[in-house]
Amino acid sequence: MPHKYYDLCVHAYPDGEHNCSQMLAMSQHLGYSGICISNHSDSESCEEVLSSNVQLEMCSGIEVRVSKPSKLHGLVGKYRTKKDVIIVHGGTESINRAAVENPSVDILNHPFTSKDSGINHVLAKAAAENNVALAFNVDILIKLKGGKRVYALSNFRRNLQLARKYDVPMLLTSNAASLYDLRAPRDLIALAGLFGMTIEEGNLALSDIPAAIISRNRRLANSVRDGVRVIEREGDM
Amino acid sequence: MKTLPPTLRPQRRYIAFEVISENSVSREGLLREIFPAASSLLGDLVSSQCEIRLLDFNYPFGILRCLRGSEELTRAVLSIITSIDGNQAFIHVLGVSGTIRAATEKYIEKREAYEVHSHI
Repeated sequence: MPHKYYDLCVHAYPDGEHNCSQMLAMSQHLGYSGICISNHSDSESCEEVLSSNVQLEMCSGIEVRVSKPSKLHGLVGKYRTKKDVIIVHGGTESINRAAVENPSVDILNHPFTSKDSGINHVLAKAAAENNVALAFNVDILIKLKGGKRVYALSNFRRNLQLARKYDVPMLLTSNAASLYDLRAPRDLIALAGLFGMTIEEGNLALSDIPAAIISRNRRLANSVRDGVRVIEREGDM
Repeated sequence: MKTLPPTLRPQRRYIAFEVISENSVSREGLLREIFPAASSLLGDLVSSQCEIRLLDFNYPFGILRCLRGSEELTRAVLSIITSIDGNQAFIHVLGVSGTIRAATEKYIEKREAYEVHSHI
């Protein structure tokens, strides 16, 4: 059976250059089954009715970007019930740490700090315990050149090694802000191959793992409280 | 020169691709992007192990040749291209085959070109 691919980090207007329906049409052309429009929390969100000729699953997401880790948990709690996917824009050690220690967070994106890969054995273990997926935003391999790309590749390699060791769920994202930043699923896997990710791991990172994140959160949205959820209402019988 | 016996001939793979861009791009423009991309991403050593050649390009579809075993690296080279002939563009790999004929029949013949304009 062919894989169903999902890209969980796509930015649309006003965060990106093109609007939702353009991004959806192109993603469908490239062979995705679904994408998640996840604009940054500090820019406006995009609310748009889909054009009818696109048969693609769209989920709503948010990329939480904060300057201080103390603000993170409040924002995550605020969006948890409204959005299917919550991504944290990392970048400093303390934000990365706060993200992987919060079970309500789905994905840690952009973990690289100015000094290192942003993930160590402690954070990897916490991410695995709290089921926070580690995103490999391969778009930076496209955007960066020369020394910075070398640096990014070796950081990715280090994070991959840690994720394998501690069984952290891995995710590939295009992090596209325009139509021309999107890449086909198979091409993202080839880019991930540059830092040693196998094709099987890449397939999981674009299909089963994102699908599990979406279904987990949709199921949570139906729950009354922890451990109790509505399976069938009386009217449906 | 005498042709090599079949067992000594290099095994090749043919990559069918499509260019997605706002405007039509030329073969020369595409070549000016592919080879610098290969040399910056892979360097001389690994580029020589891939033997990338652009065989046929008729906007938007084209066929590229590489050696067997280097398909993944070639895909990665194609996907780091962000502009061609000064237009924003990217390359979408349609598939890989063992012969030019199979690549054309399976991946290119039945396809319709994606019009960026029709969705904007």
